[in-house]
Amino acid sequence: MVAPAFLHALIWIGIPVVAAFVLSFTSYDVLTQPRFIGIQNYLDAFGDPVFRRGMLNTLVYAFFTVPVAMAIALLIALMLDTQLRARALFRTAVFIPQVTATIAVALVWLWIYDPRSGLLNAVLSFFGLPAQNWLSSTTWAMPAVITVGIWQGIGLKMLIYLAALQSLPKDVYEAASVDGASRTRQFFSLTLPLLRPATFFVFVTSVISAFQAFDLIYILTDGGPANTTTMMTYEIYKSAFREFRVGYACAQSIVLFVFLLILTLANRRLNGGDSGRH
Amino acid sequence: MELSRRNFLVAMGLGTATVMAGCATTSGSGAPAADASGPAQGDITFLCALFEGATGKETLEGNLLKQFKEKYPDVNVTVDYTDYGSLNEKITTGLASGLMPDVVTLGVGWIPPFAYKNAIAPLPESLATRYTYEERVLEPSRFDGKLYALPMVLDTRIVAYRKDFFEEAGITAPPKDWAELREIAKELTVRDKDGTLQRAGFDPFSIDLRQCWETFLFGNSGELFSADGREVLFDSPEGVAALQLFLDMVADGSADFALTTEAGQPTTLQQGTSAIMMTNNSLYVQLQQQNPELVDKVGTFVLGNTAPAMLQGGTMISQSASSKNPAAARALVEFLGSPDAVLVASEQRGSVPAISDLRDSDYVKGNPMVAFALENLGKARSEGGTPAWMEIREKIKPTLETAVVGQQTAEQAIAQLAGIADDAIARL
Repeated sequence: MVAPAFLHALIWIGIPVVAAFVLSFTSYDVLTQPRFIGIQNYLDAFGDPVFRRGMLNTLVYAFFTVPVAMAIALLIALMLDTQLRARALFRTAVFIPQVTATIAVALVWLWIYDPRSGLLNAVLSFFGLPAQNWLSSTTWAMPAVITVGIWQGIGLKMLIYLAALQSLPKDVYEAASVDGASRTRQFFSLTLPLLRPATFFVFVTSVISAFQAFDLIYILTDGGPANTTTMMTYEIYKSAFREFRVGYACAQSIVLFVFLLILTLANRRLNGGDSGRH
Repeated sequence: MELSRRNFLVAMGLGTATVMAGCATTSGSGAPAADASGPAQGDITFLCALFEGATGKETLEGNLLKQFKEKYPDVNVTVDYTDYGSLNEKITTGLASGLMPDVVTLGVGWIPPFAYKNAIAPLPESLATRYTYEERVLEPSRFDGKLYALPMVLDTRIVAYRKDFFEEAGITAPPKDWAELREIAKELTVRDKDGTLQRAGFDPFSIDLRQCWETFLFGNSGELFSADGREVLFDSPEGVAALQLFLDMVADGSADFALTTEAGQPTTLQQGTSAIMMTNNSLYVQLQQQNPELVDKVGTFVLGNTAPAMLQGGTMISQSASSKNPAAARALVEFLGSPDAVLVASEQRGSVPAISDLRDSDYVKGNPMVAFALENLGKARSEGGTPAWMEIREKIKPTLETAVVGQQTAEQAIAQLAGIADDAIARL
């Protein structure tokens, strides 16, 4: 019964992963035969200041987008889990950025961030604050990209939290109320622990998504200025498709894979696994 | 069938064996030049980074390819449109999948890498003398003494300035060297009472920083690489000075790294937020469409410090070395490199036609910036010149930017770039 799924996993996941792993030990430029070079690509990757910068930027991006977006998403989910008027409208509004093509989202934000005619600087100017060069400043480019990442990622996280909140047992809360537990106490002692499986799922998928950030960078900054917003995925793309260093790109991909594996296992251990044991 | 750990390991093993077999049998290097001696017939694909949009498609398929079909009725051409941003990726994926298009458009500097790897086929030398070309124009089409491409359109990087701003300031002539450029740019820079920049004297950042720096490197008598493409030469005092000029102009306030022209928007020169800018010859068409009142107020000049130089980019047409219908592919290359096709492509983009004979055409006579570029082709220089160019070119802009934003000095940035280029060349 699982043969189709197995074949699918073999063809679309297994073979490409193995191929990437094998090619990461070769010098391969698409045009000529792969040549075995041992771990040279890995040495190059860790010795490459731009890829190292990409790793750091990816960590910074994930560090800010994942917890911040998760906290905001939980807050919104809690608000939308009440008997609010026009609740469906608010849910849709929060979820829209998630289903909008990232290219379109990025193009809109490109206009918002425009230093001369952008909405953001117009708002700052209205309050008498100085205009900023959001995407061409080494100080502001990364925060600008992170802001878009947080804004876009809230919708899906909110939806998962909302579904989890709606499945929480009501009797536990009734018992807590009878025992005199305040709403705050109920949130920290009941809601958060009961949401742990959902949190684990949201965290893992969010981290993976943050580590795969590519299209925002491609449109908004092209990794610049001066590599301040380049990410691991963007460097992998450039190595493979712009520089023809496919073997090197495979090594960079394996490094990214190991990063994600470590983070997922660490989170799994911290959360007591996806069953929510604690 | 159960998905167990053992099954998974077996699958991984099979995958590894498949890949290893692929490593052993993959070919590509040393492919012989395509034999184009037979009759031109069969189906061919054309990866095209020209003729953008609906108008471009109509020009190519409704006009040019119809003429081609009349001449070669047994050849069917399928066009795959792309843009410069995706051209490299399309070629990479085409090569990786064994579906390299039969005919491809390539940028200046791309011939040595693709010819070195035998991805494109050499063309007969007779095609270089079929029409009149400036030797500078044909230089990027050659590798190892052989012709690999025919130039179609050129896009030159020139300096444009606002004549009205010059007149207001009493400046009678454009700058002749960098010292004059800095002096004039400072004079033409305007700030409001809060110190906010209203007009930059010079805007070097509206074109790709790589191409801008190369223009100034050549204008300072510098070189990118040795003639054989195996030695880095841009880490010379001339190369450092070219980058330092931008840093100095940012430092004195006459240039601003944040002041650039967004794609599709009027240039800073049109908006009046710069007095002098680096641009390309298509600016004239943009002026006609967006600001006809500025057509007579914008002038152009070729700048240099020790040697006037303008950068010559452009689009060339080449034939895949792995084409299954090489005669048909060759026929299309020859057709697209002919004056009729070159003129139509140039008109559509506001570009400079690569064939010198076309300087007498109505199009060139009616476009002063194109005419200016053609008159100055003797001062044109091209980027590239090494088989490792595709790798090096990607690193130039972000590395130079580190100096412009103050993360390191011009000397350090150029030295870093030279190290990257040396490594890339060593990997050949």
